[in-house]
Amino acid sequence: MNLSPDALDERERAVLSVSSVSKSFGALQVLKDVTFSVARGETVCLLGPSGSGKSTLLRCINWLERPDAGRVFLEGEQVGLTAGGLSMSDRELSSMRTRIGMVFQHFALWPHLTVLQNVMEAPVHVQGRSKREAREQAEGLLARVGLSDKLDVFPARLSGGQKQRVGIARALAMRPALILFDEPTSALDPELVGEVLTVMRDLAHEGMTMIVVTHEMSFAREAANRVIFMDHGAIVETGRPETFFRSPTTDRARQFLLRYASSPGAAGVAGALV
Amino acid sequence: MSAADVLAILSGAVTTLTLSAIGILLGLPLGLAMALIRWGRVPLASQLVAAYVSLLRATPLVTLLLLLFFALPNVGVPIGPVSAGIIALTMNTSAFNCEVWRASLMDFPKDQLEAAQSVGMRAGLRFRRIVFPQIVQASLPALINEMSLLIKVTPVLAVVGVVDITRAAVRIGAQTYEPLPPFLVAIAIYVPIVFALVTVQRRIERRRRLLAAT
Amino acid sequence: MIHDFTVVWTERSLMLSGLANTVILSVLSAVCALFLGAMLAMLLLRRNKAPVVAARVFVDAMRCTPFLLFAYIVYYGLPSLGISFDNWSSGLLALIIYNTAYMAEILRGAAASQPPQPVEAGMAFGFSGFGLYRRIVLPPLILSAGPVVGNQVIQIIKDSAFLTIIALPELTHAASSIQSRHYVPFAAFISAVLLYWALCLVVETGVTAVGRRADARR
Repeated sequence: MNLSPDALDERERAVLSVSSVSKSFGALQVLKDVTFSVARGETVCLLGPSGSGKSTLLRCINWLERPDAGRVFLEGEQVGLTAGGLSMSDRELSSMRTRIGMVFQHFALWPHLTVLQNVMEAPVHVQGRSKREAREQAEGLLARVGLSDKLDVFPARLSGGQKQRVGIARALAMRPALILFDEPTSALDPELVGEVLTVMRDLAHEGMTMIVVTHEMSFAREAANRVIFMDHGAIVETGRPETFFRSPTTDRARQFLLRYASSPGAAGVAGALV
Repeated sequence: MSAADVLAILSGAVTTLTLSAIGILLGLPLGLAMALIRWGRVPLASQLVAAYVSLLRATPLVTLLLLLFFALPNVGVPIGPVSAGIIALTMNTSAFNCEVWRASLMDFPKDQLEAAQSVGMRAGLRFRRIVFPQIVQASLPALINEMSLLIKVTPVLAVVGVVDITRAAVRIGAQTYEPLPPFLVAIAIYVPIVFALVTVQRRIERRRRLLAAT
Repeated sequence: MIHDFTVVWTERSLMLSGLANTVILSVLSAVCALFLGAMLAMLLLRRNKAPVVAARVFVDAMRCTPFLLFAYIVYYGLPSLGISFDNWSSGLLALIIYNTAYMAEILRGAAASQPPQPVEAGMAFGFSGFGLYRRIVLPPLILSAGPVVGNQVIQIIKDSAFLTIIALPELTHAASSIQSRHYVPFAAFISAVLLYWALCLVVETGVTAVGRRADARR
């Protein structure tokens, strides 16, 4: 594949570069030729109606789903496939995944480990760091997300918001180059959403590179550097949040925002569109 | 029945318990290995395991034991009653254990695995640290149930001449012309052992139910 | 090897009569055990102390006893009570008594997970005692306990093989005698194993059919 020097440069500067990714589940094509990149420190929000392929796209980035076509580059290195185009071994893929953090919609904490152990587990057993070092880091991260008093508690005893904050700490513990958020607040009771969004907002301000699939329009407006709107498996529109929410250029984006104008997460959007 | 007779039965009991323990200890990891093969959908091996398990769960232990004891020497593999007994017990219990392990594996929440993948855990690590500790807990009651079932079929070993409880009882009955008392003694040894296992199983089940309710 | 199977084929009438004995023994004992077990389960579910305790002790004792030893006890014990049964009858009796306990426990467990409302409705309409049990409690119970009962039927088929030790001419016994007369152990026992497998497939098909019937009524 011939790339101009500028394009090559950009790919190397970008933390993440997704190129022509397509994915079908059986007869249903869920992703159609998706291309975008994310620069260091950027917070990108993926928005769109259900079924638009946002989550699938996210899962293709760390190869939890395998794209049918296209390529993914993390800091210039290809994810999931070797240089020769063959599937990466479990070892190579796992090594790349240590650099991509993920936060799951349903938290996916490991129930047989305490909160502290959940955050220490991968640094110790995957990165080979010492238990002392991992513990110090874990305690620091859990303090940062406001859970210092829950270190020795098992996940079953936590609220949804607390579990998700542990999930974020767990992802941070690996010191990843970027973190993927797959609808992090969709499974939470409304009153618990705020505590998680606060942590995420702080992370964004601190310069973490983040890709967030979400329905929380307020978060997108306040914390995102860029918004990518998807529909039916393709990127329809991208832009800065101020532009996107105030004056979307495409009809489909407009329709989507109108529909969300009446939902709780879109406070202020309706007024902006009028 | 004399004291010597009771002693003979007790020494038979030692044999029974030893062979049961061996069968249990071999059958547990073997069942797990087969369950993992099916869970991982290894081509060809999965189908072979499925057929093997189906066949073995349908085969009476006595038939399997006689098959091994008589057929193996016929194809040039000399085998004694104890070895045949151990192999038969192991083959039998591993098939049932496989289904128990498999049920826990299939029930295992996929998102915990994805979380493990997302932090870069390789397959071996994922299994060792995340899957195994939890499926052991989930499978424990059913595995203990299977242990109690294994102990209950050990009298079959007498059929090929292993000097276990049953054979000792049969021998004493034949000598004293009073077949009943030695069998009652044999049962008196089995019942508390099986009962102990069943009680442990019930207790574990109750504790898990209580934990799940909180 | 093929020759061995040919030998077994020439003895097929013996094998088939062994199979027939296995089937008859299993079906008879399964039906009787299910019927008697249902009665016994009724006792287990009652409130007054004495019958529950007696039933409980019986069920627990049977569930902790190896079947092979119990078969011996029945076979050798009956003559001392003055009853002289042949090996067929004592084998059948042992299977029935033993599995009545198991069926009772299965039905009791299934009853514990049944919703109480249909039974309460039955009582409100005037059903009581045995009639209530037979027409209101039992049918949905048997449908929902289908798979577990099916499992127990398979267990009965396998337990019947133990009766070879009291020289009952069932399937394993037939394979054994073919083996000892013609020295074809592999062929004889593999044939028996395949026949047992076929029997289990039949039972599992029946269980699936019952399950489908149960689903239709859910």
